[in-house]
Amino acid sequence: MKWRKADLQTYFQSKEYIDSIVVPLVPFGIANDEESEKAAIQAEMITLLSHELEKELTGRMLLAPHYSYLKSIDKQTEVARLNRWSAEMKEQPFKHIFHLTFDPSWKKHEQELESTLLWIPAVQTGELNSKEMHKTVREQVAQMVELIRAYW
Amino acid sequence: MSDEKQQVSRRQFLNYTLTGVGGFMAAGLLISPIRMAIDPVLKESSAGDMANVGLSVDDITAEPQRIDWTIDQVDGWYESEVNRAAWVYRNENDEIVAFSPVCKHLGCVVSWEGSDQHPNEYFCPCHDGRYYKDGTNVPGTPPLAPLDEYEQEVRDGMLFLGEPKPRGEA
Ligand code: FES
Repeated sequence: MKWRKADLQTYFQSKEYIDSIVVPLVPFGIANDEESEKAAIQAEMITLLSHELEKELTGRMLLAPHYSYLKSIDKQTEVARLNRWSAEMKEQPFKHIFHLTFDPSWKKHEQELESTLLWIPAVQTGELNSKEMHKTVREQVAQMVELIRAYW
Repeated sequence: MSDEKQQVSRRQFLNYTLTGVGGFMAAGLLISPIRMAIDPVLKESSAGDMANVGLSVDDITAEPQRIDWTIDQVDGWYESEVNRAAWVYRNENDEIVAFSPVCKHLGCVVSWEGSDQHPNEYFCPCHDGRYYKDGTNVPGTPPLAPLDEYEQEVRDGMLFLGEPKPRGEA
């Protein structure tokens, strides 16, 4: 399910089957050209990956909108904020909360998160529409599906 | 003084315009389904078209195989490439059958022999939905209908697939 009206209606009717929510974590920053470019590519990639993932597992997961944060803000603050999100989601109840990200800095705080961190190493920055990229994406999605199933 | 006056009216003007645009957008939202129905330009370009899925009929065996292809689709604002997939095999009457992999329960993607515990069946990873080889849903699992079947055609030895169609209640 995606975060849109039609899908939510299905969700409301079938809550007992949709017990997982996936939230992409996307850093933002415009202070430094090179860094911004990197952040933008990651945002594009995570959009692509999360949509493909959603396609595979649509009947059991809700894909939340991107959670954006400043790269420069200290992670402690963000961890607290993210946990507030998780608390709200758990009330739904979502049994499984997955945070999907390329940003390795979350890895250090994994223990403090009240959710499951799915950290994916950033792929090489090729053309998003190339044949190889399609293959890479498909393989990564297959791995993510396997990983999520391991939690179910 | 007059400057201020002008600013206020400018603000008002902009506000006005915005409201106008908002109204227009709401109208657009209301109208679009009707327009989609009557305006052929806005219709899905692929409707009724058969796509060459890049599979020679000689390569289709009794073992279901997954094939992927893309079609161009106009979806509201965007024209985009959409990925499609099918499970294709030859049944005991030597007919080619192409199933949509979309689970009839809540739409996850099923795989042939996707679970070690259930050989010779399609398996849905979301709620353990299952289908027999001929696409019929296994009773007692969440799906209540068989897998959709693609319209198909063979041209010059190649498989062409159209839209997935429901097969009705099992
Ligand atoms: S979506 Fe396939 S069994 Fe529920």
